[in-house]
Amino acid sequence: MALLVMSEDYVRALIGKLMKETRVVAPHVREGRKQWQFADVVDPGRVALEYVSTILPPKKYAFPTEDDLVHWRTEEGFSAEPVLSVEPLVLFGVHPCDIYGLESLDISLTDTYVDPNWVARRRAMRIVGIDCLPDEWCFCSSMKTCSVSSGYDLFLTPINNWSEYVAEAATGAGAAMLAVAEGREASSHDLAQMRAWQNDKLARQRDRRINTEVNDLPLHFTGFADSVVWERWSRKCYSCGTCNTTCPTCFCFDVLDKLKLSLDEGYRSRVWDGCMLEDFAVVAPHENFREERHERLRHRFYRKYAYLYTRYGRPYCSGCGRCVRQCLADIDPVKVINDLLTEARKEAAGHGL
Amino acid sequence: MAYRSGVNLQEVEPQAELYVPEPARIVKVEPQTAKEKLFEVELTSGRALGHGPGQFVQVFVPGIGEAPISLCSYRPGCSSFQLCVRNVGTVTAALHGLRPGALIGLRGPLGKGFAMDEIKGHDLLIVGGGIGLVPLRGVVQAILAERDQYGRVIILAGFKSPEEILFRSELEQWEQREDIEFAITIDRPHPGWGGHVGVITTLFPELRLDAPNTRALVVGPPIMYRFVITECRLKGLADESIILSLERRMRCGVGKCGHCQINNKYCCLDGPVFKYSELKFMWEAI
Repeated sequence: MALLVMSEDYVRALIGKLMKETRVVAPHVREGRKQWQFADVVDPGRVALEYVSTILPPKKYAFPTEDDLVHWRTEEGFSAEPVLSVEPLVLFGVHPCDIYGLESLDISLTDTYVDPNWVARRRAMRIVGIDCLPDEWCFCSSMKTCSVSSGYDLFLTPINNWSEYVAEAATGAGAAMLAVAEGREASSHDLAQMRAWQNDKLARQRDRRINTEVNDLPLHFTGFADSVVWERWSRKCYSCGTCNTTCPTCFCFDVLDKLKLSLDEGYRSRVWDGCMLEDFAVVAPHENFREERHERLRHRFYRKYAYLYTRYGRPYCSGCGRCVRQCLADIDPVKVINDLLTEARKEAAGHGL
Repeated sequence: MAYRSGVNLQEVEPQAELYVPEPARIVKVEPQTAKEKLFEVELTSGRALGHGPGQFVQVFVPGIGEAPISLCSYRPGCSSFQLCVRNVGTVTAALHGLRPGALIGLRGPLGKGFAMDEIKGHDLLIVGGGIGLVPLRGVVQAILAERDQYGRVIILAGFKSPEEILFRSELEQWEQREDIEFAITIDRPHPGWGGHVGVITTLFPELRLDAPNTRALVVGPPIMYRFVITECRLKGLADESIILSLERRMRCGVGKCGHCQINNKYCCLDGPVFKYSELKFMWEAI
């Protein structure tokens, strides 16, 4: 494992070097706001190395909000061909929770059938991770996603109050980045600071925890189907789908037809969709399999913490907190799950258990 | 327990054609009822679709969209196949406007159909309500192709009214066969209808089944499932002997888009055919 300690200037210099070869995207602060977004780097000096969370997760670079999948024509009979545009990309400054999100979609989008567009873009992607400190909405310690051991080429851990970074290469591509980077050798003191960083992340979430082991959530959820909690929280829900849109592990989509004016040619395009939206489970003619808000809220939670967990071997929640950070009604997964657990315990007590 | 680790993306094989419809030609269009038409379709490549009974295809009408449609024929060795389509949404309305020779796109066959190998050697109770008979028609064709592989074959068909009866001439043939026990009913009395009247469950009291050896194949609207499942269980059928096919709004058909999810199952991947024993604790199923 190659390690290098880089000053902030050296990190920005590395971004500049990478930009000469490849498109680089990184978090940037939104002018005048305490919000960040992934965007193309124009000036490495403007990259936000210290940030809480971006509005949208970086999955948009492999799974764009709108992605043409198929081009078809009817000029001479009917013909259709796949559509795919890929360019090499460095995602610079990705937090562990978002790396977890990308790896989760690697699993679901290659399970049984292998999604061509996702895989091509992910293969063309190099990831430089960076560590972070949680805000009041993050719950990565509950989700066990405070740190990741794979899914990146290079990972930067801040030390000495963000003035330096310990860079660790995990792949050949990461080692190649280190080879062109400047820095000093890591000391045992630096490594101790790296470990202290993890402890600090956990400590800061001591009062914001899901009150059970995440591993037990699928089991707990087997008993939550009829809980009063769904109705209680859904009363606040606007069914706006913000939680879906901002989630790093959501991957549902709809397929739209875009027709040329000539009517003999068009594209089939996937666009992000969300299970919280009212018409998500509608079939012709207008039967809605999840008509009520509480049914949709329940479905989303089951998908995150039970269905996909069981199916793909990991929860489809990274604890990034985006859903509640941006929820108009403050529907907080930590509070909802704790509420479910509390109600279940109350009910058990009522049965003398 | 540790989470499942990530995927090595160099080792997977991307399926470039996953979402690409394959050209197909409508060979024949036969009106069935006021709402349903039977389409005979073949792939323009000449390739046989190679489907099993109960599977479906995603049908693409250029410029309109794609919809999941049940395959309703099973004729190994025949390059064409049939789709019975109710005019109910945008894509199906556009399909109804197409004539023989028209080109469409197809993806499939998709989904898990009826596991014919598992039901071989058993008595079969086939219950179809309305267009639920569509996927079951392929099953019956598969059974008749190897009739001696199965025990008794009992078919119950239910429709709202005589006008809605599908596959009329075929049903008449089934009725006349010695090796099929066939009954048909319509929901309410109708002028000129001399047959059985009443919902499909009213055909059950007459049935004498060897329950441990019987497999029920049931397809119909959600409301029918509730009552037919109850009747099957009253006859002594085990939950894993009751086999159903469900309908959802599949967009991708390959377990990605999330639309057809029923609790922890994807209708398109894990189904559309399920055993009742798989569904009985899934509150979203029926």
